[in-house]
Amino acid sequence: MAKFILRRFLYSIPVLLGILILTFALLRSIPGDPCRAILGERATDAVCDAFAERYGLNKSIPEQFGIYMGRALRGDLDVSFRFGRPVTELIIERLPTTAELALLALTFAIIVGIPLGIISAYRHNSWLDVVTMFGANLGVSMPVFWLGLMLSYLFGVLLKDTPFSLPPSGRLSPGAYYDPFYISWGLAASEETASGLLVFLSRLNIFNGLVTLNAAQLVDSIRHLILPSIAVGTIPLAVIARMTRSSLLEVLSMDYVRTARAKGLSETNVVIRHAVRNALLPVVTVIGLSFGGLMSGAVLTESVFGLSGVGRMLTDSITARDYTVVQGFTIFIAVTFVIINWIVDVLYAFLDPRIRLS
Amino acid sequence: MSDIASLPIDELKLKSSASRNFWAELYRNLRRNRSAKAGAAILGFLVILALFASVIATHSPIEPLLGKEPGAKVRKPPCSILTGCTEPTHWMGLDLNGRDVFSRVVYGTRISLTVGATSVVFAMLFGVLLGLMAGYAGGWVDNLIMRAMDVVLAFPSLLLAIVFVTILEPRLKGTFFYNLFDQFFGEPRLFIVLLAIAIVFIPVYARVTRASVLSVKENDFIVAVRALGANPMRIVFRHILPHALTPLIVQATLGIGTAILDSAALSFLGLGAQPPTPEWGAMLSEARAYVFTAPHIVFFPGFFIMLTVLGFNLLGDGLRDALDPRLNRS
Repeated sequence: MAKFILRRFLYSIPVLLGILILTFALLRSIPGDPCRAILGERATDAVCDAFAERYGLNKSIPEQFGIYMGRALRGDLDVSFRFGRPVTELIIERLPTTAELALLALTFAIIVGIPLGIISAYRHNSWLDVVTMFGANLGVSMPVFWLGLMLSYLFGVLLKDTPFSLPPSGRLSPGAYYDPFYISWGLAASEETASGLLVFLSRLNIFNGLVTLNAAQLVDSIRHLILPSIAVGTIPLAVIARMTRSSLLEVLSMDYVRTARAKGLSETNVVIRHAVRNALLPVVTVIGLSFGGLMSGAVLTESVFGLSGVGRMLTDSITARDYTVVQGFTIFIAVTFVIINWIVDVLYAFLDPRIRLS
Repeated sequence: MSDIASLPIDELKLKSSASRNFWAELYRNLRRNRSAKAGAAILGFLVILALFASVIATHSPIEPLLGKEPGAKVRKPPCSILTGCTEPTHWMGLDLNGRDVFSRVVYGTRISLTVGATSVVFAMLFGVLLGLMAGYAGGWVDNLIMRAMDVVLAFPSLLLAIVFVTILEPRLKGTFFYNLFDQFFGEPRLFIVLLAIAIVFIPVYARVTRASVLSVKENDFIVAVRALGANPMRIVFRHILPHALTPLIVQATLGIGTAILDSAALSFLGLGAQPPTPEWGAMLSEARAYVFTAPHIVFFPGFFIMLTVLGFNLLGDGLRDALDPRLNRS
């Protein structure tokens, strides 16, 4: 098992290197001087020369690449052109929004998708199956940003004065402030003195609300996240439901299920304990792969719901030619993707002994 | 009792119920498949809209209706039947600039279908070639190509497409296809969007093709052709490629739907078609801030995006079932 884990990890290394190289190459190909793109009218020759000197843009491409690789491998993602702040700091600032959104969306997709898939497979070809699969098809065909806009109209305007109304934008109600847990617990005096990890964790509103037992923050943050999560989670939900259904259909036709029924086990026992456990294996892979979709969905939904997350910063930086931010964020996202795929592979091998023994 | 051997050849042909022709059998299976029929119906409707847009649309998609009708007030406020307006000709209402939404949606069908289909064709051209090379050559060539594909697939497709649009735009200004799109659609950036999406999708087709190549490479008939001394190119294109067609057809159909979604997303982010081009994603982007007061401008283009992608998904699912050799059909 350990050998398998190591082997899969080593397999990922060329991919990780490739990501670093590709990101660098792509960004250096974007035409336009970043200095002039960012500073606009204030970009005189002298200013731009100093800019190029400061960020090493006047060195040759191979030299720039060498410096970039050395830094990236040490975890140093340089400083943003636009904000003058380290990119890692910007990631820590923006990531909690996207992470919370992605996690909630994925949870929604799994909690609703898997049972739907199971019921569809079990009641194969019934009206429920047809409706669910049509719904799944519809979900996969919808543009995420359209769904977000329609949901915000539905819950923000049509249901406005009902108990079902939901805020259509932002992470918390305007003007709301809640103490970070490290201040309530006395772990640090303020944001400046707290470590990066504590600050990061405190920015996850749901987590912060839970650990400080602050019902107001919990309710507020969840209410703001429901609509974006549904918008982002619909596509993974549809994919997971379809995968679960087709996988379970295959498993239910297997001989061992017939044997289990012949042995006289209750239907619930047969389906849940025997069939579903085996059917969920491909679903694990699908869940890992939906991370890419979640990121793309997050990019679009963040702009619709006014959330300042990773995706939005990335698109803004691309158009603003903020190389370092784009580099840093892209590497971060791609590396996370590779790590998640690696975890999924290991998990799959853990759940299915046939894989790790082959 | 009549002996089959004594029947004339023509009658024998009539008596055999299963046609050996691949396309005929495919058509037969598709006709029985509900999903394929639904998908084909939706797509048929959309293709008719696209082809006959100039006849079906009631107004111009680009000219704002600034009180040009006789007796009309200047700059009518946006209105639709949904909000109680009494204009019978504007079936989907007017947008913020006084343009008829229905006409814009109808003309938008042309753009979406063209961009979707063309980007998939481009992606397949390169993807299939790479997949054939990787699968047939094996060894370090296979490794190199597949690792490169893995690297591209490691990036979320939308983000990579955004980067490519930004890179390609200044480079492709003034080239032949750029001007072609300018002439035909009035929006040259659609060509850039098309290319960016095509590049991002190449690894998908490469993988599918490679998997098919690997599954037939060691079959006896390939070994036989190789033993006969056939040229590798001939083996790959004449003998192996036909086996890859089946999954590729399915993947291509589903891929057109995804390409349409991605191109709408790029336009929504401001990187693709720009107003006044009647591209669905661009229409959503324009109307985004006004969704609470004029939801119809957001609803209809998005609904058509969903309808188009649904059509391709249903057709793709139907094709997958129809082409599946494991399902027993009489």
